[in-house]
Amino acid sequence: MSFLRTLIPFDIAAGLTVTGRYFGKVFFSANRKKVRAQIKHFTQEYPEVPVRLQPRFRGRLTLLKDEQGEIKCVCCLACEKICPTEVITIEKGKKEGRKMPYPVRYDFEMERCIFCEFCVESCGFDSIILNHQFELAAYNREDFSLGMDGVAQNMFEPSPVGRHSVAED
Amino acid sequence: MFKNEEMEINLGPQHPSTHGVLRVKLRLDGETVTKCTPVIGYLHRGVEKICENKTYFQGQVWTDRLDYVAAISNNLGWAEGVEKLFGIEVPRRAKYIRTLLTEQNRLASHLLWLATHALDIGAMTVFLYAFREREYLLDLFEAFCGARLTTTAFRIGGLREDLPPGFIKDAQVFQDRFLHCLYEYEELLTENRIWKKRTVGVAKLNAEDCIALGVTGPVLRAAGVPYDIRKAFPNAAYAEMDFEIPTRTEADTYARYLVRLAEMRQSHRIIQQCLDGLPEGPVMAKIPKILRSEVNEIYHPIEAPKGELGYYFVSEKGGTMPYRMHVRAPSFVNLQALPKMIEGRLLADVIAAIGTLDVVLGEIDR
Repeated sequence: MSFLRTLIPFDIAAGLTVTGRYFGKVFFSANRKKVRAQIKHFTQEYPEVPVRLQPRFRGRLTLLKDEQGEIKCVCCLACEKICPTEVITIEKGKKEGRKMPYPVRYDFEMERCIFCEFCVESCGFDSIILNHQFELAAYNREDFSLGMDGVAQNMFEPSPVGRHSVAED
Repeated sequence: MFKNEEMEINLGPQHPSTHGVLRVKLRLDGETVTKCTPVIGYLHRGVEKICENKTYFQGQVWTDRLDYVAAISNNLGWAEGVEKLFGIEVPRRAKYIRTLLTEQNRLASHLLWLATHALDIGAMTVFLYAFREREYLLDLFEAFCGARLTTTAFRIGGLREDLPPGFIKDAQVFQDRFLHCLYEYEELLTENRIWKKRTVGVAKLNAEDCIALGVTGPVLRAAGVPYDIRKAFPNAAYAEMDFEIPTRTEADTYARYLVRLAEMRQSHRIIQQCLDGLPEGPVMAKIPKILRSEVNEIYHPIEAPKGELGYYFVSEKGGTMPYRMHVRAPSFVNLQALPKMIEGRLLADVIAAIGTLDVVLGEIDR
């Protein structure tokens, strides 16, 4: 009996059954849209199809403005103090017609940021969030130094996303 | 007539099977390894020194980057260690959620181990299947804390937020599916003759050697020693959980494979108990905004997927940062068993031995 077992590869056949089952599922549903719709896919065609992100996803740091277009930050420096990699630099200042202090400078060095969300957690005024952006690559090192001014890269807007798909050409 | 000469070669640091930047200097007599010296330090970042200059809140982000495939286990060790230092009691619901996430992380880590270990030895199929399940778990982590690998999941005193809506339902979907997936992996590997030829009797390490070298985790349990921190010194909510410690006595690569698969079944059981018995209540204890320590030192071990992970803190009076922080990393200690395992054996077994130790270089070099 054991000799028969060595001769006939039952064990390898058992493994092939598992892969065969998956192969069969795909093979027999290849051109049938109804069946195909029922099979859940585990992979996503990423650059062509946008990725589904969870609501709590931690992306790039963004400064928020209130309804009047006024910056919500009041320079309490809590985010600057809690940041583990010290990427935030705030300069306190005054603005006419505003009681609270106003950030003259809010610098953010994205190249050292580790996206831990401690800054957002420490903020008592809900004036910063981490947005849902993860495609943050850029060609120049200066593009990672974000501030309140700047046209393409600033703290209020999402960073410009480079072209990623060959299909767009 | 023929000259008999030993050859010295380097395995790594760029070798795909060394799981990172591990370099192993090998002295070969033909195909037989006569001497083996692991060379580490290519990924050294000085985490222990950095943590001396960061507060207890901030230091946690570096623990994500130690064992990056099991970041939540590292977070648990840090958070519980600091809580032990300051005598903070964590709410029961937070303890349950911590246990739940840590066990899911153990599954993710073991799945990555299974995938890469099998791929190293030559079984390609199980790699893709195991990554499919791991992907689902990483999505759950993303739903809970917003990141997939560098989680920073816990806070000193509990959790930042409660579980997101729909988390328990999604976790239950995984629970219902996972046992069938485990069955598939076993179908592919356990009785497969190629797998058995590559693993049975390979890289043996008996119980005395394991204890002498300080090896912990599945490697120790596969040698027949039922030592598990979760049972020996229960932390989080493990004292309330019902689970077993799987052991084997063969102490070879195949036994470690079976032990890890059995561990995945036990983790599955613990997750189910956490989901069923999740208590209501707050998830964060009341703690002061700035923690100021007394002169103290503590050591807090937890059972990480790879073995005993311990955090050692020395604190000074009125300090907000640890005076000294040391990590007892399981991979680092387990790696020193490598020469014992493979000296006198064939070169091809080195790959199996590195895979079965389940080392992660982020943790070894720190």
